[in-house]
Amino acid sequence: MIKILKKHYEIEEKGERLFKIYIKKEDLLKTIDFISLSSNFMTLSQISCADWIEDEIFTLNYILTTEKRDKNLMVETNIPRIESKLPTLLNIFPQAEVMERDLHEMYGIDFIGNHTLYDFALEDWKEIPPLRREFDTLKYVNEQFDFRAGREDNKDVKAEIKRRRAEAKRLKNAKK
Amino acid sequence: MQKNRELIKIFHGPQHPGITGNMSIELDLLGETIKGAKTHVGYLHRGFEKLVERRTIIQAFTIVCRICVPEPDPNEENFARAIENLAGIEISEKAKYIRTMVLEMARLSSLMLWMGGQSGSIGLGTIGQWSIYDRDLILDLFEELTGGRVYHMYIYPGGVRRELPDGFLGRLSQLLDHLEKRLPLYDNVFFENSTFKKRAIGVGVVNRDEALRNGYVGQVLRGCGIKRDVRRDNPYLVYEKLDFEIPTFDGCDVYARAMVRRQEIRESIKILRQVIEQMPTEGAIMQKIPKHRKFKIPKDDTFVAVESARGEYGFYMAGDGTEQIRRMQVKGPSLIHGFTLLENLLVDEELSNVALIMNSLGICPPEIER
Amino acid sequence: MQEGFIDYQKVLENEEHAIKSTQSVIQKAVDWFRSKSMFVLAYGTGCGAIEMPPTFTSRYDIERIGVVGVATPRQADILIVSGYCSYKTLKRVIRSYEQMSEPKYVIALGSCTINGGMYWDSYNTIKRLEDYIPVDMFVNGCMPRPEALIEGFVKLQANIKDAKREAGYIRYREDNKFYKNNQRKIFGENIEPSYEANFAGMNQ
Repeated sequence: MIKILKKHYEIEEKGERLFKIYIKKEDLLKTIDFISLSSNFMTLSQISCADWIEDEIFTLNYILTTEKRDKNLMVETNIPRIESKLPTLLNIFPQAEVMERDLHEMYGIDFIGNHTLYDFALEDWKEIPPLRREFDTLKYVNEQFDFRAGREDNKDVKAEIKRRRAEAKRLKNAKK
Repeated sequence: MQKNRELIKIFHGPQHPGITGNMSIELDLLGETIKGAKTHVGYLHRGFEKLVERRTIIQAFTIVCRICVPEPDPNEENFARAIENLAGIEISEKAKYIRTMVLEMARLSSLMLWMGGQSGSIGLGTIGQWSIYDRDLILDLFEELTGGRVYHMYIYPGGVRRELPDGFLGRLSQLLDHLEKRLPLYDNVFFENSTFKKRAIGVGVVNRDEALRNGYVGQVLRGCGIKRDVRRDNPYLVYEKLDFEIPTFDGCDVYARAMVRRQEIRESIKILRQVIEQMPTEGAIMQKIPKHRKFKIPKDDTFVAVESARGEYGFYMAGDGTEQIRRMQVKGPSLIHGFTLLENLLVDEELSNVALIMNSLGICPPEIER
Repeated sequence: MQEGFIDYQKVLENEEHAIKSTQSVIQKAVDWFRSKSMFVLAYGTGCGAIEMPPTFTSRYDIERIGVVGVATPRQADILIVSGYCSYKTLKRVIRSYEQMSEPKYVIALGSCTINGGMYWDSYNTIKRLEDYIPVDMFVNGCMPRPEALIEGFVKLQANIKDAKREAGYIRYREDNKFYKNNQRKIFGENIEPSYEANFAGMNQ
């Protein structure tokens, strides 16, 4: 089965049972259709996305497993960060519906053909999608919520330890 | 005289004694029969994946175990193994055996909790009282080993954090003897109870032909007669050296899944006895790794998976060359079971069977929405 | 006040916790009855719900104190908020709390209700529970052991019998604007219906 794929794509081996191929975003539907029908990798296990803001791309990984569930194949594509669109895999794998809804809410990726892209985990959310790198959680938390008083004299731990050790050393030398 | 019946919408909601955790299902009812179901999650969303991006690995490892509440150890094992894969660290044999022991004890305690929940959903209250007591004895051993009853924070990239206490393996043996003496009691009251059989046979039947393609995992597959288990197919730690079987049962319904779990309790006890015998007495429990503020994770990505008590549990992790993790994505077994499977299984079922089916599929909301 | 694990017998014998003699007999009897039968609402809102089954079953049996679980808010006296509250959960917790009939008490379990806990920089959890509903007892820890939860219940029993202490539900009724303003800050205009019009005509 790997031999069939080796004829068409360049496969990178990451360990005994983990393989990876890189494709362009226009070939996505064709590739996954071909792989799931002609080779043994017939189940979609996860769709994961990583945000590389310095290169201005999202990297999507479609992780497929075999029928015997003993090997994993990662299919990687890159899409731009602004106006990200991809075709949906709903017609090939029904479990892709929930995973795409999750990614749409967290990153703002639009999956063309999926009509169930409503709220998954957040309610009444008005800011930008939260898992993008430009969303600053600390700033948002400090503006929205109040903390309990009592930690204003919070000291830096490392500086405090250094000061106490220097103090103890000074006392020991003074006794001698 | 014709009665005009229309669909009524109710929320089998977050505040309910018959759901496993904090989630809700929106049901359309015609009399007592369900005609449509829609799952709602998000009541436990804390944004773990955003929290981890701001932390170094020793800060992230303290919150990773809280992603799945009834069984926290597969999360720690996945996190540690992903970082070891990225950074190229090899751990010693003794650390592998100790990790296997901790994972199997966590699986036993999660199966005991399942028994309490499944019997409570029918109305057999005695079994909950017994099984949660037996689970508490396992938590006492965890407290002696790691310091905490529920959240352990014991498995770290490079090994485990503490040595085994003196006499620990003897106490574990005694506990396994005690559990084996109690198993015929559970058979009498629960698994061979005619009330349970009448409620469970023929309810919640999964379509066997679509099961592999749709991505179902765990007891849902094994209850249909399909033998799949990550410990056998994609082995990790020391499972290649241990001798155990994968139980399957034909039937695809609630009763078959309960029988599979009954057998898995016995297999877990068998694995633990072998680990106690084969535990190496010497070896380092922790490899030397740099301090967390200087430990740079290489720019690479990987995917690891373990078998938890409910199915295959996977992590995707990507590093970017600094000491913080770029991306950690969690995929629990309940994500597909809670949406794609549950919404189809509940159509044309009675309202009183909703709690029974949810307990049987093993749906745990914290791992769906992190 | 005593620190540490308080034995139940010592609570009865301690003069501080003894029933005050200036109360009327009927009021003393009513407070005694209320403290001996506490019904807890079955709602597991967060992580802390994993230590509630051991407390309610045969090993750390809490039914000997008089605590039982019930299914609906109309029958319950106590709401246990076990752990962190996210935005969605807080709406439902407030709705359940307002549906319970008086007298009602709230126990906040875990460190996440005190100051945010380890999710202090998360965009979806609230940091201080007592801004939104009145809390009568905090039990800290992550997780608190079943013995700590039992100690929390015993102290709450002593507080109920204490005539000088103002219970949370009276604060919620009289000082309703404070709580509603805080809720409005988070929820915008999607807050629960206001009960100020109903409370205006009640005698204090």
